[in-house]
Amino acid sequence: MAPPAQSHRSASPSQPSGKSEVSDLKSQLRQLAGNRAPGVDDSKRELFKKVISYMTIGIDVSSLFGEMVMCSATSDIVLKKMCYLYVGNYAKGNPDLALLTINFLQRDCKDVDPMIRGLALRSLCSLRVANLVEYLVGPLELGLKDNNSYVRMVAVIGVLKLYHISASTCVDEDFLATLKHLMLNDPDTQVVANCLSALQEIWSSEASTSEEASREREALLSKPVVYYFLNRIKEFSEWAQCLVLELVAKYVPSDSNEIFDIMNLLEDRLQHANGAVVLASIKVFMQLTLSMTDVHQQVYERIKAPLLTLVSSGSPEQSYAVLSHLHLLVIRAPYIFSEDYKHFYCQYNEPSYVKKLKLEMLTAVANESNTYEIVTELCEYAANVDIPIARESIRAVGKIALQQYDVNAIVDRLLQFLEMEKDYVTAEALVLVKDLLRKYPQWSHDCIAVVGNISSKNVQEPKAKAALIWMLGEYSQDMHDAPYILENLIENWDEEHSAEVRLHLLTAVMKCFFKRPPETQKALGAALAAGLADFHQDVHDRALFYYRLLQYNVSVAEHVVNPPKQAVSVFADTHSNEIKDRIFDEFNSLSVVYQKPSYMFTDKEHRGPFEFSDEHVNLSPGTESADTVVPAQRVDANDKDLLLSTAEKDEGRDASSNGSAYSAPSYDIAASQTQKESSISNSNIPGNTLPSSSAIDDLLGLGFPIETATTPTPPPLNLNQKAILDPGTFQQKWRQLPISLSQECSINPEGVASLTAPNALLRHMQSHSIHCIAQGGQPPNFKLFFFAQKAEESSTFLVECIINTSSAKTQIKIKADDQSASQAFSTLFQTALSKFGFP
Amino acid sequence: MPVSASAIYFLNLRGDVLINRLYRDDVGGNMVDAFRVHIMQTKELGTCPVRQIGGCSFFYMRISNVYIVIVVSSNANVACAFKFVVEAVSLFKSYFGGAFDEDAIRNNFVLIYELLDEIMDFGYPQNLSPEILKLYITQEGVRSPFSSKPTDRPVPNATLQVTGAVGWRREGLVYKKNEVFLDIVESVNLLMSSKGSVLRCDVTGKVLMKCFLSGMPDLKLGLNDKIGLEKESQLKSRPTKSGKTIELDDVTFHQCVNLTRFNSEKTVSFVPPDGEFELMKYRITEGVNLPFKVLPTIKELGRTRMEVNVKVKSVFGAKMFALGVVIKIPVPKQTAKTNFQVTSGRAKYNAAIDCLVWKIRKFPGQTEPTLSAEVELISTMAEKKSWTKPPIQMEFQVPMFTASGLRVRFLKVWEKSGYNTVEWVRYITKAGSYEIRC
Repeated sequence: MAPPAQSHRSASPSQPSGKSEVSDLKSQLRQLAGNRAPGVDDSKRELFKKVISYMTIGIDVSSLFGEMVMCSATSDIVLKKMCYLYVGNYAKGNPDLALLTINFLQRDCKDVDPMIRGLALRSLCSLRVANLVEYLVGPLELGLKDNNSYVRMVAVIGVLKLYHISASTCVDEDFLATLKHLMLNDPDTQVVANCLSALQEIWSSEASTSEEASREREALLSKPVVYYFLNRIKEFSEWAQCLVLELVAKYVPSDSNEIFDIMNLLEDRLQHANGAVVLASIKVFMQLTLSMTDVHQQVYERIKAPLLTLVSSGSPEQSYAVLSHLHLLVIRAPYIFSEDYKHFYCQYNEPSYVKKLKLEMLTAVANESNTYEIVTELCEYAANVDIPIARESIRAVGKIALQQYDVNAIVDRLLQFLEMEKDYVTAEALVLVKDLLRKYPQWSHDCIAVVGNISSKNVQEPKAKAALIWMLGEYSQDMHDAPYILENLIENWDEEHSAEVRLHLLTAVMKCFFKRPPETQKALGAALAAGLADFHQDVHDRALFYYRLLQYNVSVAEHVVNPPKQAVSVFADTHSNEIKDRIFDEFNSLSVVYQKPSYMFTDKEHRGPFEFSDEHVNLSPGTESADTVVPAQRVDANDKDLLLSTAEKDEGRDASSNGSAYSAPSYDIAASQTQKESSISNSNIPGNTLPSSSAIDDLLGLGFPIETATTPTPPPLNLNQKAILDPGTFQQKWRQLPISLSQECSINPEGVASLTAPNALLRHMQSHSIHCIAQGGQPPNFKLFFFAQKAEESSTFLVECIINTSSAKTQIKIKADDQSASQAFSTLFQTALSKFGFP
Repeated sequence: MPVSASAIYFLNLRGDVLINRLYRDDVGGNMVDAFRVHIMQTKELGTCPVRQIGGCSFFYMRISNVYIVIVVSSNANVACAFKFVVEAVSLFKSYFGGAFDEDAIRNNFVLIYELLDEIMDFGYPQNLSPEILKLYITQEGVRSPFSSKPTDRPVPNATLQVTGAVGWRREGLVYKKNEVFLDIVESVNLLMSSKGSVLRCDVTGKVLMKCFLSGMPDLKLGLNDKIGLEKESQLKSRPTKSGKTIELDDVTFHQCVNLTRFNSEKTVSFVPPDGEFELMKYRITEGVNLPFKVLPTIKELGRTRMEVNVKVKSVFGAKMFALGVVIKIPVPKQTAKTNFQVTSGRAKYNAAIDCLVWKIRKFPGQTEPTLSAEVELISTMAEKKSWTKPPIQMEFQVPMFTASGLRVRFLKVWEKSGYNTVEWVRYITKAGSYEIRC
């Protein structure tokens, strides 16, 4: 009897296809319910199987509850089990019907057959209906005292289930004391092990609220308890041994003799066939010897062989789990594994998640004696069919180059990569050559010769392109056609989508200009013009900055842009030591696989409520730092979001989407709560860094209408029409006052487009009692400084306003004597500004 | 926390649920959907067996045409979870008699639910030993052993076995003929460079046993491994015999082996479970005898022609022979036509895997057959230089040969009734990942 092969995948209840069959089943079950004829059990079995198979594929058969319970009066154990399974599945959704089952379950709990008693008790505790808790207590008490260990074993877990249904009942009925007694006295080890699991889980969750529970949890780690478990460890099943070892790993021995005693006792666990036991023992050894440096080293040597065996045996999934742990240890103590590097060679057919870890380990263990072999091996992978792995291996070669003293041979290999004429290989190699040159400028001659042969047309990836452009700028004196390549790139400015590349292009052309002025001048002009018109804020700012710098003094500019550089000695490490240690403390758990401490993936506040983020399992170390930063930002965003009504959100969106390329995503962040991914990607891509101030500014700007709405409306702000302020005072005030508001808004595009000189705007603003004190800039960018004064008092507002006519967007910074009024003033200012251009 | 699985699902390759067992309430009911949408239907499938989706972590494994998925919501022990799945599958196999696939699951789903109930409770692994479970979970579904045949198995004893200490063997077994079968199965992993130097080489071996022995026998196994021999010569105070001794890098044993005695006396002594089991596993990296040497020469003659010559040399004894030898020689994707000459076996071009597949059913020792092939390629402009030569891969089995040189010196069976036992010992070496770069 097989379940019907259902092709539809939806797990939604009561599917049309199942409906008629369910009612069919219902009538058949009814017929059999009272029947006691011989052989009726067989037909019941067939029916039950059908019901269970429907249940499995997601058809809702809860309507059969009554009939199923009626049919459950049987002595056939398989029938009983199917019935228990069914009841367990649907009781929670049908608490009233669940009451029907209590009767027969309680009866079964007193059966002469311990098997039946156990099964019934297990099902009784699996009903998960809060108002039936009272019926659980009695059978559980009996179960814990049963003379059969099978029943006791079930009852112990039953207590844990009860705790999850109703913690107070579990604690009040004093089950915990019984469990504790059983744990320390029961002859059956599975009962003992289940007690340990249950008590650990219950006391850990109680510990936050009850001092007694946290004392009890500590008591589990006391010497007598730990020794009791250690002495019996060989009697335990392999799974229970894992549990015990986990407990021992947390135990703090009083002196070194104790440590050695425990290690001697557990030494043979390293030869256990179950890899989980071996790994758990390794954890004990590592944790016990943390404070004893010499012994800790010996432990590493001792566990090497078992770990390598585990990696090479079992399914890819198992070896991945072990490999993640080996990876952690290799990164912690690479020198210990440096002779075993051959174990980390990749096999052709290995899955890429295994290869990736192996590549990282090869990188870590590379030292003077094995570098040649490792790099040779890595170069083999560069031609791999699996492109991500090929990329990883090239990066690995680069990392090794950066951590070695003698890079002679490696540089040659890297340069060979550049000649392989595969786009992704070239791209990765370019990035590496750039980093290499930053650390070892002495290799510039060899590298530049090869890099010069690369056609920039073949380089498309932003990172690689940026690297190439950096080298063009940095070594423009050695590369004959550097100015011309740059000029070509600048001509295609508009087609260049990556802001990172455009930023690099600006800097490179500046550097090139200082070395070869006559050839580069034209390109520089073009680049600056393009940069000033760029919609990306960073690019625009940098262009403006260079422009001003050149205007001010060329030699100063040279000193700023192209100073003599010192070679980088060490590149920053991405994982903080604290995080590494936390992961190490959580050895033998998911933390090691995810390479992040458990609070980052189990605590609610570190995950979005609905995010299904791919970033989570991303093993790149870069995400780590981003992760830690993000939560704070997001909480902020969420809070703001709660405050905003939808209408206001839309308003805000309009304001920003008109021109600002980078503030738009930050609104989506606030709005959709799926922000984790986007904020990670934002903070990871340097060229696209969200200027944190602007994100906050946006939020402030948005928060503003709420405040005016909720607080009693302040008296309307009247401005003095004939305000006077001399430039000296303005400058002084501008320096002294903090910025009280800074935001972006859009202005009527048509009006601004016709704006050839700012004078028209000045007159317009003056009619709103806002006076201009200074102005400058050229199309498309104007910068204006305004001031205004309150009509009644001499409180002044200062405004810096940057208008970009091509994007019809302004940036406003307001400073005020009276900070509290600055919001009101800002509205006034924006209203005035938005009216500009209308007749 | 060891495993604390919240749910276990069995899915077929299309994503239909075959088995669905919820252990805890801390995950939503839509976890199968999450798995389907975020793992099965994306390219992520196969990129990593551990994934986080929302607040839950998914561990999944593909076994034949079935995915087994464990969902957890805590910081679980991954290694333990995967080991649990592997053990559970071998338990199911021992119930179904061999295959574990979609059909077997569909045909036995009630039994699987029964077993899932016993082997895990509220997410904690319980008893997974087939010997014990078979006592009270039977495919026939008769009444439990406790009450059905009270005379055969007294209750206190049987229950002790259900949960208890000597988990791997029950008492009172009787066989007419007492037999022990012992297989040493080794798989050789090799990675050889194109220049013929060994980059990486190791042997992982298993000692598999099948015991049909009455009563509670004590077994003792002696191998020609270095530590064991040295210890023995020390104990008997006579010099180590000359001859080959094997240095094992690492050994792990079935739980029945008395590890304390192994560590003190270096002998493998144990009370075996009934039937089939894996007694020990070992790994060796030094002094491996490679059964085959492969000497490839691949010449690219211009853009459209290649010449492939491969010589395979068998280095084991002339009286032995290898079975099922398959040599896969990679060729470029744009292969149009191939011509072969082989001195032994048969070869053909398999376009699906872009390989010349050369099969030799029976390959005697100390011989060296060759394959020479001419490969014509379609000339394409686009794929210049793009052929990354994958390695040559080899499959084989060599009976009565161990790549490590490991031999059984003795296998002693002692039982208090003093019966005679027949012992059978076999050796076989298989190819693990046997790769030669070219």
